[in-house]
Amino acid sequence: MNGARGRILAAIGASMLASVGLTIVYALGGDPQIEGVLLGVSLGGIAIGLVLFGHHLLPGDQFVEPRDVIPHATAERPGVEAAFEAGAEPIERRRAIAIAFVASLGLLGIAALFPIRSLGTRPGRTLFRTQWRRGRRAVTDSGRPIQVSDLDLNSVVTVFPEGHENAADSQTLLIRLPDDVPPPGPSNWSVSGVVAFSKICTHAGCPVGLYQAETQELFCPCHQSTFSVPEGAKPTFGPATRPLPQLPIGVDEAGFIVSLSDYTEPVGPGFWNRPE
Amino acid sequence: MKATRAALLVTLLPALVAGACSYFEKPEPFRPPATYPPLDAEALALGQRLYQRDCSFCHGDEGGGTSNGPDLVTGENGPALTDFMLSTGRMPIGQRDERIRRRDTPYDDDEIVALVGYIDEAFDQPGPGIPVVDPAAGSLPEGRDLYQEHCAACHATTGIGGAMLAQRGGETRGIVIPSLHSSDPTEVGTAVRTGPGAMPVFGPGVINADGLDATARYVEYLKNPDDRGGAPIGRIGPVAEGAVGWVLGLGTLVLFIRWVGTKRGERR
Amino acid sequence: MIRRLARWIDDRIGGSAFAESALSKIFPDHWSFMLGEIALYAFVVLVITGIFLTFFFDPSVAETTYNGSYAPLQGTTMSEAYRSVVELSFDVRAGLVMRQAHHWAAIVFIAAIVVHLLRVFFTGAFRRPRELNWIVGVTLLVLAFFNGFTGYSLPDDLLSGTGLRIAYSIALSVPVVGTWIAFLIFGGEFPAEAIIPRLFVTHILLVPAAIVALLTVHLALIWRQKHTDFAVRGRRESNVVGPKLWPTYAAFSTGLFFAVSAVTLAMGGLVQVNPVWVYGPFRVSEVPSPAQPDWWLGWLEGALRIFPPWEIRAFSYEIPNPFFPGVVVPTVTFGALYLWPFLEARFTGDRGPHHLLERARDHPVRTAFGITALTFFVLLQLAASNDLIAHRFSASVATISWAFRILVPVLPLILGYATYRLMTALKASTVERFAELPLRAVVKPGGDGEAPPEAEPAAPAPSEVGAMIFIFPDPDGRWRWSYRVTDNGLELRSHKSFVSPDVAEHAAVQAYPDTPVVQSTEPVAPTSPP
Repeated sequence: MNGARGRILAAIGASMLASVGLTIVYALGGDPQIEGVLLGVSLGGIAIGLVLFGHHLLPGDQFVEPRDVIPHATAERPGVEAAFEAGAEPIERRRAIAIAFVASLGLLGIAALFPIRSLGTRPGRTLFRTQWRRGRRAVTDSGRPIQVSDLDLNSVVTVFPEGHENAADSQTLLIRLPDDVPPPGPSNWSVSGVVAFSKICTHAGCPVGLYQAETQELFCPCHQSTFSVPEGAKPTFGPATRPLPQLPIGVDEAGFIVSLSDYTEPVGPGFWNRPE
Repeated sequence: MKATRAALLVTLLPALVAGACSYFEKPEPFRPPATYPPLDAEALALGQRLYQRDCSFCHGDEGGGTSNGPDLVTGENGPALTDFMLSTGRMPIGQRDERIRRRDTPYDDDEIVALVGYIDEAFDQPGPGIPVVDPAAGSLPEGRDLYQEHCAACHATTGIGGAMLAQRGGETRGIVIPSLHSSDPTEVGTAVRTGPGAMPVFGPGVINADGLDATARYVEYLKNPDDRGGAPIGRIGPVAEGAVGWVLGLGTLVLFIRWVGTKRGERR
Repeated sequence: MIRRLARWIDDRIGGSAFAESALSKIFPDHWSFMLGEIALYAFVVLVITGIFLTFFFDPSVAETTYNGSYAPLQGTTMSEAYRSVVELSFDVRAGLVMRQAHHWAAIVFIAAIVVHLLRVFFTGAFRRPRELNWIVGVTLLVLAFFNGFTGYSLPDDLLSGTGLRIAYSIALSVPVVGTWIAFLIFGGEFPAEAIIPRLFVTHILLVPAAIVALLTVHLALIWRQKHTDFAVRGRRESNVVGPKLWPTYAAFSTGLFFAVSAVTLAMGGLVQVNPVWVYGPFRVSEVPSPAQPDWWLGWLEGALRIFPPWEIRAFSYEIPNPFFPGVVVPTVTFGALYLWPFLEARFTGDRGPHHLLERARDHPVRTAFGITALTFFVLLQLAASNDLIAHRFSASVATISWAFRILVPVLPLILGYATYRLMTALKASTVERFAELPLRAVVKPGGDGEAPPEAEPAAPAPSEVGAMIFIFPDPDGRWRWSYRVTDNGLELRSHKSFVSPDVAEHAAVQAYPDTPVVQSTEPVAPTSPP
């Protein structure tokens, strides 16, 4: 018993010291690691002290309590049922009014659902188009336009349509393929081996961030879908079922890369009414 | 392991000193570095000897490549790529299908200088020279920004590397993306400019010289980042957090309740 | 002082009767019954640390520039939400400890709920009359998952932004109404500005309020129905055995609260969790790597990763790939969880009330089913790390993914069948632990290859030889009773005293209906066990 008393006091004492330490550390400017240790000791000391107290100094006997059997009150049930039915009887006599009440509540419920519509904009055609338009320059997220000469062979850069550098649905990868790899897509959709593909994975919409320059493949870090750029970004592994859409690109008079139109199909993951 | 670290330090120090010295003169993007002056005849001879001994079997006597290995005269081949391959020990390899990965280089600094210089001089390589990378001159926030935009998806947010896939000959094969925690700033520069292996190329049109300094500075930072929160548990994010939460968190508490409570059939 | 306060309250609301039964209420104290308490106290830690965080977090996506003390982000544009989290982590004293403790408490909270659920499942504690509390518990698990995800999404960092992006795509994948669901939840096309403030209100008000309400119901039902217990040493369907709430169990339980706080807060200071400053602010075209959710969504992430590239397209409409792993898998999972007590009652025909727990072997089909499901989810959980496994072992992601595509449907069935054989063999045998079971008995159960019949009623309570009930007076004139087994020296005393020997006997017979009663006029000295 004495041993237990000593251990309990030691645990409480450690906790008290740690709490004093905490205030000092806090006053001195704080440090997450020291705070963690001191919090652990000051709370843990109380925890250990309480359990030791319960184990050694409080009654340790096991007691027994009868368990009342539910349903033990079956005898009371008819009373409840009778009370309910007695109250329901006048309501049932005015059945039409009761139905009218229920109907009015139902209608109110339906009317109250409509504000849910205010939570979001109408999807409409939003998912079918991006911010790319004919002649819009491809710029980096800091707004810098890109010339073909900026792109070495085997290089890759993420671009947006000029003026829409935060448009998530418009993020596009410009990839310069090596000379011996014929660019995919219609011949007028690429410039000097530079091709453009949507960066949004057609599976769950993550940016397809990894480019494998040796075999010209794109890889999504979220679910490992792999797309072969020379084959029109066709999926070759992982859960994605569709290629990344290709953006037709050209060069404007100043030599900067521009889009020739919007994407010709919706970008990103599938949805119910996505056209083929 | 200690020896590797010491060797790394020894190789890193001159680079850092050189970097610090070049701080005062604004470096041009493709100026050959101060550590690679035009080679004297002796060094060229050393380079030639080493090339014949270790490289020509696969890359050919004239650098034109053989059935065992690629040529050294097209694409990004140049001093930057050669230096990257040799100083990271990725070359030479013993077997043609051996996995190309970081090893301790068998060469000393002089030998690497000689080989890089000889190969460039003898084969008139088209690729970029070794960029001068000075992390001290780079901006840390800009480096973070560029790293997140261009590097993080493959080399991981914390620089630990990762895994991806490639189709080779109709077969899907795994690619191991190396960690950057043992890359020195020059290696970062040579890799960015030449895109060794599976890596794409980032020319000065995408990451300019200042950006390269900044990127290298952030890569340096990632070797020893601010772990204000405590033990970084592998820097792999929620997977390690979940494991630690179960084992250390819930595990400790289960031990605690086993101490508090009774075991099956036990009397108190 | 306490006495005066208690009297003041009793004079006004008359709570003495309740208080008496509450103070001497019995709490079975097998360690596994405290798993749920770990979850309860982790929730308390979540509320306390969470309140602290709300004072500093700014749920706004308004653009701002960082000027705090974390150097790599200096001058970077970011949302107010992200800035306030980085500031809380670096420039508010004790802020990071609180933030990390909150996250660790969340991880422990949901882990404890899952282990608690497994304990309840494998011991059959969900059977009548506790189906209702099982439903409440499963709902609490759903709410915990949901609040975990909303909390992880709040800081507007790159990792959580990617998580939201995937959640949006899963919402889009719902047939017919998917686009509307996604647009109404997010307020428009991803990344809509409304989502962070909405997640905030959901995370700190709506879901926590629902959790508090259901926790209250969960605990009230336990209080009303009393705890289950294993069929050992004097435990019967008709009684509850253990220490009283006051003072012993109160000390244990309070101690456990402090232990949960100690562990989560110490981890909050010592082990880094969700270092959002490294992930950086959310940018639409950037992606973190590796990209995994918190552990409780790992099984869904794993399902998304290894699900084959299938989708349904017919009549110019489409059911996209993420619908199956992202919507069907969780719907079936929680549907099965909700329905399990009713399905089991239907298939076993056992609809009677049960208060004594079963051992895993008592119900081989349930145990086998549980192991099958558990294996399935653990494998999915591991599949969520296919890229990390590939990186760690220099293997191909494709090989690892294919391994999981094969293991996920196959291994659970193999382990489930093996469990079934093992459990039936244990049930037929007399051994106490399965380590004592001869291998032969598993390979050929019952010797003739026939499994014993399934619908056997639960094992009757162990009859204890020489059990007697003594009714005796207390020194203060009230009466108590005590259950004694001469064979093994077990003595269990009544949890409270009674006004007369008759009332005491009534209670004793209710607890031990089949045991002879002896009335004594001498106070019986408690024979405390050695």
